[in-house]
Amino acid sequence: MQSNTPRRPGELGFNLFIIAASLFLLYHAYGIAGFDALSSAGAVPMVTTGLMTLCGVIILRQNLRKPGKTAETISRDILPLPVIVTIAAITAYAVLLKPLGFVPTSFLFLLGLIKLFSARSWGFSISAAAGSVALIYIIFRLVFSVLMPAGIVPEGEILAAIGHLFGAAK
Amino acid sequence: MIEILQNVLIPFLDLKLLSLVALGTFSGIYIGAIPGLSVTMAVSILISFTFSWDVYPAISLMIGIYMGGVYGGSRTAILLNIPGAPSAIATALDGFPMAQRGEAGEAIGITTVMSFFGGLIGITVLALAAPSVSAFAIKFQPRDYMLLAVLGILLVGSLSGDSLVKGIFAGAMGLMIGSIGLDPLTMDQRFTFGSTAMMGGISFIAVMIGMFGVSEALIQLHSMKTPGVKQVINRIVPSFGTIRKYLPLSLQSSAIGVIIGALPGTGGDIAALMAYDHARRVTKDPEVPFGQGAREGLVAPETANNAAVGGAFIPMMTLGIPGDSVTAIMIGALFIHGLHPGPMLMVEQPHMFWFIVGCLMLANIFMLIFGLTGIKLFVKVVEMPRTVLIPLILLLSIVGAYAVNNSLTDVYWMLGFGVLGYFMRLYGFSLGPVILGVILSRLLDDNWRRAIISDQESLPRLLHGIVTSPLSLTLFLAVIVIFLSKTPLWSMLMRKKTS
Repeated sequence: MQSNTPRRPGELGFNLFIIAASLFLLYHAYGIAGFDALSSAGAVPMVTTGLMTLCGVIILRQNLRKPGKTAETISRDILPLPVIVTIAAITAYAVLLKPLGFVPTSFLFLLGLIKLFSARSWGFSISAAAGSVALIYIIFRLVFSVLMPAGIVPEGEILAAIGHLFGAAK
Repeated sequence: MIEILQNVLIPFLDLKLLSLVALGTFSGIYIGAIPGLSVTMAVSILISFTFSWDVYPAISLMIGIYMGGVYGGSRTAILLNIPGAPSAIATALDGFPMAQRGEAGEAIGITTVMSFFGGLIGITVLALAAPSVSAFAIKFQPRDYMLLAVLGILLVGSLSGDSLVKGIFAGAMGLMIGSIGLDPLTMDQRFTFGSTAMMGGISFIAVMIGMFGVSEALIQLHSMKTPGVKQVINRIVPSFGTIRKYLPLSLQSSAIGVIIGALPGTGGDIAALMAYDHARRVTKDPEVPFGQGAREGLVAPETANNAAVGGAFIPMMTLGIPGDSVTAIMIGALFIHGLHPGPMLMVEQPHMFWFIVGCLMLANIFMLIFGLTGIKLFVKVVEMPRTVLIPLILLLSIVGAYAVNNSLTDVYWMLGFGVLGYFMRLYGFSLGPVILGVILSRLLDDNWRRAIISDQESLPRLLHGIVTSPLSLTLFLAVIVIFLSKTPLWSMLMRKKTS
């Protein structure tokens, strides 16, 4: 049944990638303890990576049997621009999180993606991004005390000032 | 008997304890629903808060959170395809397709009622059969755990989607990912490539969020202009007919949940996946195919994971052995409060055992109440425009992955697995087997090695041990039968039989 479905763009390349990665991991698994003993640290990793390689080859064989002609294209159906931009945005988020801090990085991340995807007004994008960041900050940082990088925001001082304010009010 | 009843009723009759169980359950549902916030983490934090409290209020709050958290994971699994907790992975498989059809209200309703049933059965078994079930669980040898893990691995067949070979590849990949880091038995480095950051292994949560959350968000980017799905929530409480229809499956799944939950080292996640596989095998003609929104695919895992809560308390209370990570922390909490879970607890302080049973029952009732209310507000999330929802899912995924260990490395892992998962999904690989492999990796690896070492590295000896132990033999035969049932030979035989 499967062999009648046309091969998707890039499928063969992905297939070759998983075979190469599986072979590399198999070689590494062999390097853990070789064929030392059935109970060695490398025994199960060798079986799993061996199985990955074998399955990769079988999948390749199935893929080669599929008709290659398809109306799909890489740029439209596999890696459209929004996907590339989003992957880049997540990478940028991880890079900027420590130096900029959680609040500004998250705000910029949401603002950029919402503006790009929705093409709505700046007012909508800013309020949606700010509201979402505020909600996540309250849940993670204030309620569950998850430590997020403060970065350029003097978060400790702001929280202490709010605390003092309530303390003084009492 | 009256004394037992008095102890069971303590949390029901004391307003403070009743409020604490309610607060715990309510919070647990929302903690469980947020990816990256685990029940284990919440209970650990609670220990520091409740350190100076009396034992009854402390236990009441912790049990509420535990019960609510196991259930709460299903919410985001159904609404966003991001399981809030590992025990909700199987729920996402059919729950999310239901939400995509606009049936999120019904999916949450079924999930809540079935979780209540599962919880009730788990607690009943805990109350009635704790000593005998724990005696059964303690008989498990490493080879039995290994066979249990193999049994779990065979679920790959049910989670593979259209291609079994791709499912096997994904399952093997999961096992490999689970073995990354320092080997706990020999301290050998496995797939660390000399990096110290990888010696502790890869965070399971990062893999889970990447594979389910990020890959889903990336896939959704293909249909960005499609408006959010309008959810029908006229009827949240399932009809009596619906409950009656799924009751047999619910009872069978509860049995799976209790047994798996009672085995040390295996918890609601494995129980839910095993129950899902069971549902696939016993349901002949589902109204909707599995993986596309079958109600049976919700009933089985949700009943099993809540039944596993009662099951996990059995070895904890009677043997002092944790059934899962949360009960491991609870044992610590009980020690802090001067109690010693184990065989002597039932003899010296039976009131504590029955008090815990009472708290679990009350938490289960609150779970039903809170679970069936506030759904309208919750499902508004999925009706948001995708252009806002997708960036929000991504941010929640990033924060969730970061929050587990306060580590940016986990964010990179999440992204890496998200992109890999995205391509795998595009090319027809199911991601369920990857998570299954990661979950079962340690159970399989450790127990295979313990079993083969105890049989002096001899496969014939191991096999002899299996065939001469009734328990091992039963598990072994189950493995063989389930394996054969996945092969074309079996379907050929079945076809012949029916024709």
